[in-house]
Amino acid sequence: MTNRTAHESLAGWPPPVLDPAGPFAEPLNTLTWGLLAMAAGVTLVVLVALGVALFGPTAWRRKLGGETLIWIAGLGFPLVVLSALLIWGLSLTNRLAEAPQPGDLRVRVTGEMWWWRVAYLDETGREAFQDANEIHIPVGRPIAFELETTDVIHSFWVPRLAGKLDMIPGRRNVLRLQADKPGTYAGQCAEYCGGAHALMAFVVVAHAPEDYERWRAQTSRPAIVPVQSTGAAAFDRAGCGACHTVRGTSANGVAGPDLTHVGSRQTLGAGVLPNNAGTMAGWIADSQAIKPGNRMPAYPVLTGPELRAISSYLESLK
Amino acid sequence: MIGLASAGLAACVEKGPEGPQITGADPARGLALVESHGCGACHVVPGVDWPKGQVGGPLKGFADRALIAGKLPNQPDVLVRWLRDPPALSPETAMPATGLTEVQARDVAAYLYTLDDQ
Amino acid sequence: MSAVEEPSETGFDRTLYDRFPTKGRRPKGEVEALEEIWCGPKGWQWITVINNNYVGVYYVGAAMLFFVLAGVLALVMRTQLALPLQGVLSQETYNQVFTMHGTVMMFLFAVPAVEALGVLLLPQMLGARDLPFPRLSAYAFWAYLIGGLAFFCSIFFGLAPDGGWFMYPPLTSTTYSPGINADFWLLGIGFIEISAIAGAIEIIVGVLKTRAPGMSLDKLPIFAWAMLVFAGMIIIAFPSVILATTLLELERALNWPFFDAARGGDPMLWQHLFWFFGHPEVYIIFLPAAGAMSTMVAAVSQTKLVGHWMVVLAFLATGFISFGVWAHHMFTTGMPGTAIGVFSAASMAVSLPAGVQVFSWIATVASGKMKFNTPGLFVLGSLLIFVMGGLTGVMAAMVPFDWQAHDTYFIVAHLHYVLIGGMVFPLFAAIYYWTPMSSSRPLSEHLGRWVFWLMFAGMHLAFLPMHLSGLMGMPRRVWTYAPGRDLEIPNLISTVGAFLFAVGVLVWIIDMCRNFRPFGASAGNPYNGGGLEWLPSELYSIRSIPVVTSLYPVWDQKNLARDVVAGRYFLPGAPTGGRETLVTSPLNAEPQHLLPMPKPSGWHVWAAVFTAGFFLLLTIQAYAASVISAVLAIVCVIRWCWFLDHPLPQAKVDVGAGIQLKTYDSGPTSTGWWAMVITLVVAGMVLAMSVFSYVFLWSRSTAPWPAPVNLLPALTTGGLNLAAIALAWLANRMMKRPLLATLLMVLAGAAVAAAWGLDLNGWREAGLKASMSAQGAIVYAMHAWQGFFVGVSALMALYVVLRWAFGYVGSDRPATMQLIGLFLAYVAAQGLVLLCLPRLLALAAP
Repeated sequence: MTNRTAHESLAGWPPPVLDPAGPFAEPLNTLTWGLLAMAAGVTLVVLVALGVALFGPTAWRRKLGGETLIWIAGLGFPLVVLSALLIWGLSLTNRLAEAPQPGDLRVRVTGEMWWWRVAYLDETGREAFQDANEIHIPVGRPIAFELETTDVIHSFWVPRLAGKLDMIPGRRNVLRLQADKPGTYAGQCAEYCGGAHALMAFVVVAHAPEDYERWRAQTSRPAIVPVQSTGAAAFDRAGCGACHTVRGTSANGVAGPDLTHVGSRQTLGAGVLPNNAGTMAGWIADSQAIKPGNRMPAYPVLTGPELRAISSYLESLK
Repeated sequence: MIGLASAGLAACVEKGPEGPQITGADPARGLALVESHGCGACHVVPGVDWPKGQVGGPLKGFADRALIAGKLPNQPDVLVRWLRDPPALSPETAMPATGLTEVQARDVAAYLYTLDDQ
Repeated sequence: MSAVEEPSETGFDRTLYDRFPTKGRRPKGEVEALEEIWCGPKGWQWITVINNNYVGVYYVGAAMLFFVLAGVLALVMRTQLALPLQGVLSQETYNQVFTMHGTVMMFLFAVPAVEALGVLLLPQMLGARDLPFPRLSAYAFWAYLIGGLAFFCSIFFGLAPDGGWFMYPPLTSTTYSPGINADFWLLGIGFIEISAIAGAIEIIVGVLKTRAPGMSLDKLPIFAWAMLVFAGMIIIAFPSVILATTLLELERALNWPFFDAARGGDPMLWQHLFWFFGHPEVYIIFLPAAGAMSTMVAAVSQTKLVGHWMVVLAFLATGFISFGVWAHHMFTTGMPGTAIGVFSAASMAVSLPAGVQVFSWIATVASGKMKFNTPGLFVLGSLLIFVMGGLTGVMAAMVPFDWQAHDTYFIVAHLHYVLIGGMVFPLFAAIYYWTPMSSSRPLSEHLGRWVFWLMFAGMHLAFLPMHLSGLMGMPRRVWTYAPGRDLEIPNLISTVGAFLFAVGVLVWIIDMCRNFRPFGASAGNPYNGGGLEWLPSELYSIRSIPVVTSLYPVWDQKNLARDVVAGRYFLPGAPTGGRETLVTSPLNAEPQHLLPMPKPSGWHVWAAVFTAGFFLLLTIQAYAASVISAVLAIVCVIRWCWFLDHPLPQAKVDVGAGIQLKTYDSGPTSTGWWAMVITLVVAGMVLAMSVFSYVFLWSRSTAPWPAPVNLLPALTTGGLNLAAIALAWLANRMMKRPLLATLLMVLAGAAVAAAWGLDLNGWREAGLKASMSAQGAIVYAMHAWQGFFVGVSALMALYVVLRWAFGYVGSDRPATMQLIGLFLAYVAAQGLVLLCLPRLLALAAP
């Protein structure tokens, strides 16, 4: 994204799949390297066999030029390699796809075209509070993500923390992941979901446990709206509350992302823009120019001061 | 306004063939700031691929523009002040205060002055 | 000649083979007569050609046209992705372009291209004058060309589908894709699938029934084996996607909720149906190419294929296993662990037969002396690329790795390695290798090397970095990517590679323009291949059809070319005075009868035009016009069938060396019977997949699915269907009494129609609504399917009446009645399934 500072931890190098940051991604890294080595090794075997078949001494070529080669190299050798891989793969599958444990923190993420609704659940599975496009987790413990969708199929993927899992209408899939170190981890929708699929990103922010508790206490509170805030009034007048919720105010729409603490997020527009008063104003005035096809219409009717007031009001919602 | 204009005249500026220069400022750092602050959300900025917002004016050829936002003289210090806090200079503007520091705003201004019509 | 000691398959006396090659001169004017009979239509009537020598070339040409068109789309995409956040394509256009690239490459290039290769090569390889149903293959070609071009043009109007080539609902349902873009895909592709199935029927019957005498299965060329398995897989796999597209189109047009979770549907049903087709599809594409590879490896190494039987078994194994791997496209959908394990194991197992093939090729190269000509280079390149793609495929078959790699550029890299190595390179090798057979000039060896090296280098440059960009987190199907994630460099390299590949293709096009001269004399056998296709041939194919005693007859049978050209084998002339070919038995290829073949005519072309018109007009919602087009298509098909099933004046003719064969046949030895049975297998597969859909949706339901339990109507429905079977059987027994036979057949048709109406009425009275629930949707969809068959039955009954009116019903021509009888019996059996399935499941709770 254009915001390099906020996204330094989201760089593509080293490749996130090969740069695991938790116990659910670590074995996948080992597996990937193992498989890459296997692929390179077998390619080499084939190349050598082909080289000998083409240019080798006649005696060697005669040895290769019979059905024995097919039995040994074409059938026997792959059978051994594949059986070994299968055992490795399936045991890993069973281990990683373990059902959620009672102690897991529960977060429900709902895919929407083209953003993420995030609901933090309590132990009983009831929704404690909502947020969007940014997921905060404590380090060092498994998080059970309950993945759902309200529209089409999406896929939830944070490559440094775990493999991906689809969000399918009518179903709930549970993905467990865990971060070992505090930091920001990039996530992205991996299942083609039409229109702005390419710009449907998010971040996972992992905190030390005590920081997480602080964050949770802060974020679960309703918004603190300054009295006589011109921004809040303009927000009301423009009808923003029909789609967005700001807890503690009359804005209670549910079509769009919850904005109760939007000012504290790192990004706008589901991981596409840095978050500041300027980008907020730009997004409100004409989000279609930034993320074409997204469900928020452009608002060319706001005056300059209104736009500023709304954006600074929203930025104040930390 | 007159005060602004005279302040502009008194500023340490050389207007060379490539447009005004700002001492000690680095256009490259400016571009990085333009990107990291997401100025593209509202402006089409040469050098920024995306986004290409249509909310504010396009910044192509900014160095040759006579006025900032159609009303303020396009002078380096005015620009630097504008970049930090536009509503202070033009209450009707939609452009909010950017939170840039003085040094950052000078870098951004330096970058904007590299944008001539060529 | 150990084969002679085995008992004959058909009662044919195989010592008769010893009469060949015959001695003495053939009568004068025999060749001229053949030329006259087989010459193509002149002037504007060329459009009516049906000879595979023409149609096969057109077919391959059209497939290559779509390859180039879809390739151009790929270049546009690579330009957009060369750098982050480029504005070459807008988001909507990009989504259309990538959908079209995948769809066109899979449905309009890959499957038709290999099918076309079969149409072009098989008659030559099998020693047949033509495929058994030349008009059917011409129909398939025209339907494909017209439908494909119209489909492709949708992109110029912004109407191209944009839901991806896999078209997952609910993204493709009317809620999220309200435009007609998705309909273009569903109807356009549904239609082209029909063309592919028509081709597959042609190929199966051609391979099993029109081989040169003596070409028993152990002497069947490896390419023909591959095409046989390929066609069989189409028959099994394509019905699934036909059903899927029909269901989704029904959901879009009539709001029947098959895939709508809110009303009891399930989007996963689509994924199962689509991938049950979609993964075998990959092997469907790969097998013919592997067959061609096996043929060419032997030819360029100038030695026999090592492990021929192992390769044949590998083809068969691939065919079987490939139907057990579909769910490996669904490892990230949260499937239960046991299912995942089974599919993972099967996905790995399917690479075993691939290993057999690869090492058979290497062993062949080792046992011969490889020539580095253009086909040879492409063969080697293909082998290497395919192995690399296969290995990343093994990686992706490992479920936990797939959780990371799935839907990323790693998979894009993998599938392009497999498809380019497994299909595109073999196809180019085949084009270079077989062009001398159908062109008077071979392609240029000099340019060919350029083509190969440009494509080989471009291919690796384009797709090798994609493995990395996938591991770097770049998802598939994105119109752009963000800067600052280090994705710029691998993407830029990929773009350069894609253009390099395109330059290779461009050089090939230049080579084709300069050297490809079809329909005339052939350029001989420059690569010294060993199959029958290298015998000197004209438009009538080879002059006489030899007795085959070897897997490589041109290498092993002395003076074969000389004797064939001199007319010293079967069918040296045209004993019936028309187009004809030998029909032989499926196992040992013993001559059974002579098949008179049709002449060029326009009816199949018009039928194709109006069939395409029906689907296209339906897409743009011009319903009245589409119905008119459908009626016209039906009229054309009936007119086309009207040519068929007429005994010739000569009941038996001399097919060479005094051997007399019948000129009319019906029943299990005839080609028509085989074609009908295979068609019914296709229909049965659609039924099987819809039964699967019924059970799948039922198992997802939380409440039991009730069914009407009124005993009397149910018993009547069952009784009527059973009666229909009996009546159809009886009609065939009564062929000596034409009026009675006709009446019985019409009654059978009426019985299936009445049974259908009664069952349907039961559901309506029970208050089931199609748009209210998944049960309603699937019940009425199955009845709509049955209704379609009842409609066809009605047309057939009408056709029988017409034939009776013209005096064409009688014991001298039983074939039509037999086939209609078979069809009606199938429809009745289908009606019984529809009757029983819901009622049985109603007894059990899901």
